[in-house]
Amino acid sequence: MDTQEKPFWNPYLAGVALGLVLLATYLVMGFGLGASGAMIRFGTWVGWMAAPQAMENHPFFCSYVGEGKKVLEDWLVFEVVGVFLGGVVAAYSAGRLRPAVQQGARPVGVTVRLSLALVGGFLMGIGARYGHGCTSGQALTGGALLSTGSWAFMMSVFAGGYLVAPLLRRVWR
Amino acid sequence: MSMLPLYMKDAFGYQTGLAVATAIGFGFGFVLERSGFGRAPILAAQFYFADMRVFKVMFSAIVTAMLGVTFLAGIGVLDLSAMQIPETFLWAQIVGGFILGVGFILSGYCPGTSVVAAASGNIDGAVTVVGAILGSVAFGFFPSSWREFAEAGNMGASRLTDVLHAPQAVLALGVTLMAVGAFMGGEWVERWSAARGQRSAPLSAPETRTMVFLGFALAAFMGLSTMMLPTSKGAPAPRAPQTVTPEALAAMLIKDPSALYLVDLRDAGSYQLSHLPGAQSIEGLDVASLSSTRTLVVYGGEIPASLQRFGGATMTLEGGFEGFKLKILDLPRLAPDATPQQINEYRRQGAYHEYFTGAAAAPPPAAATPRKTVAPPQRKGSGC
Repeated sequence: MDTQEKPFWNPYLAGVALGLVLLATYLVMGFGLGASGAMIRFGTWVGWMAAPQAMENHPFFCSYVGEGKKVLEDWLVFEVVGVFLGGVVAAYSAGRLRPAVQQGARPVGVTVRLSLALVGGFLMGIGARYGHGCTSGQALTGGALLSTGSWAFMMSVFAGGYLVAPLLRRVWR
Repeated sequence: MSMLPLYMKDAFGYQTGLAVATAIGFGFGFVLERSGFGRAPILAAQFYFADMRVFKVMFSAIVTAMLGVTFLAGIGVLDLSAMQIPETFLWAQIVGGFILGVGFILSGYCPGTSVVAAASGNIDGAVTVVGAILGSVAFGFFPSSWREFAEAGNMGASRLTDVLHAPQAVLALGVTLMAVGAFMGGEWVERWSAARGQRSAPLSAPETRTMVFLGFALAAFMGLSTMMLPTSKGAPAPRAPQTVTPEALAAMLIKDPSALYLVDLRDAGSYQLSHLPGAQSIEGLDVASLSSTRTLVVYGGEIPASLQRFGGATMTLEGGFEGFKLKILDLPRLAPDATPQQINEYRRQGAYHEYFTGAAAAPPPAAATPRKTVAPPQRKGSGC
């Protein structure tokens, strides 16, 4: 982090701020935040643009697309658009908005890094379907509501990360 | 009657809700970026014990929101029963979480933070987003037997308050104490890791930390104190049978039929002739097999001794079979000189009639303000 950038917030204060955003969501909407839910919808939409009949007849995707359904007109999709905008504004105002490929202390090749990003993302897409959400929708949202499955999910996420981390030490440390 | 959550109390409509979504998302994304979570090495550091930032932010957020809900529900401002509680699919979520955790350490992001990373210009973040979209869609193309596992271990809208048989405020205090302990432990681990790696530990601001912890303690005790209020909403639902109106039962059946059991207490003959949608007959019902995390709704008689043993919440349908039939299932009729209020009632009952019987009612003559109807739950992968 170079000296032109604004420092990151104290993590406890940032957490409280995040908790207040989440609380506001509960009080205003009656449900919480999410991210992966928008991703399946966006992907379904792209697939539907390419092959509408196939998607509308498919046993999984038919619940998202078809007669009277607007796959992108969904709370989570609009929320994730907001997440993106918030990220842009926060990064810009902190002097952190620039193209880059994030690397650990000893950078690996860009191809390696981006391949890991793609595969990692792919696994998260699958994990989120089985988890019925991701860290935003389950760990944070469900966690604060003390949902049983959310806590189990959260502990599993940490378990998965910690167990595989030693294999990736070269990438991050 | 509490006014919160606003949307669930009809304070505004679906379209406005979408605008609210973007505004809330903006706040979410902004905080994530300022937490440092637009950068993979910062997130990954969690899994090497070097920087427990992920844990600190996540659990401070959970504790803050949890205590807010506890207190506001406890004083009756927030109607907890109107909130959407995530459904638990225990085995699916344990497996899914593990897979997501592996993806997390591979990519350096979780789905939400990958969006923030992309927003900051980080190409690895953008690639992670693409990967996550592809992975989600790939799931859709899995054979149905693989996809079915996503429903494994369904416990309904189970909460730790049910599983641990603890009141909300007490559990909230417990979680707060655990989190604060974990924060202190986490900072010890950071220092240990730094010493081992011969580098400096992440900056710790003890005064800020103490202030935050005191804030948590105060909020937790405020939450506890709501348990002493006469109409305490912080307590779990009483075991004594309550009544439920036909409208409320209809809403429960539409929202999530898997959260309740509907039992017909009349004789087998009456049941065979006609029973309410989704109802089981008391004849031959194995009470021991009923999960106490679901609500039991009965109609058509006195609750028999066999059902007294049921461990979960029990409710009796007001007006019984006839009442539900009259108010929900029957095709409604509209007088020619109906008031807007009566037109709204007609539309509402028409929607219920259509939902439960599949037959649409005739549209009313005048264009009355449409009521907010509850959308039927979408069962993924079950065919449409």
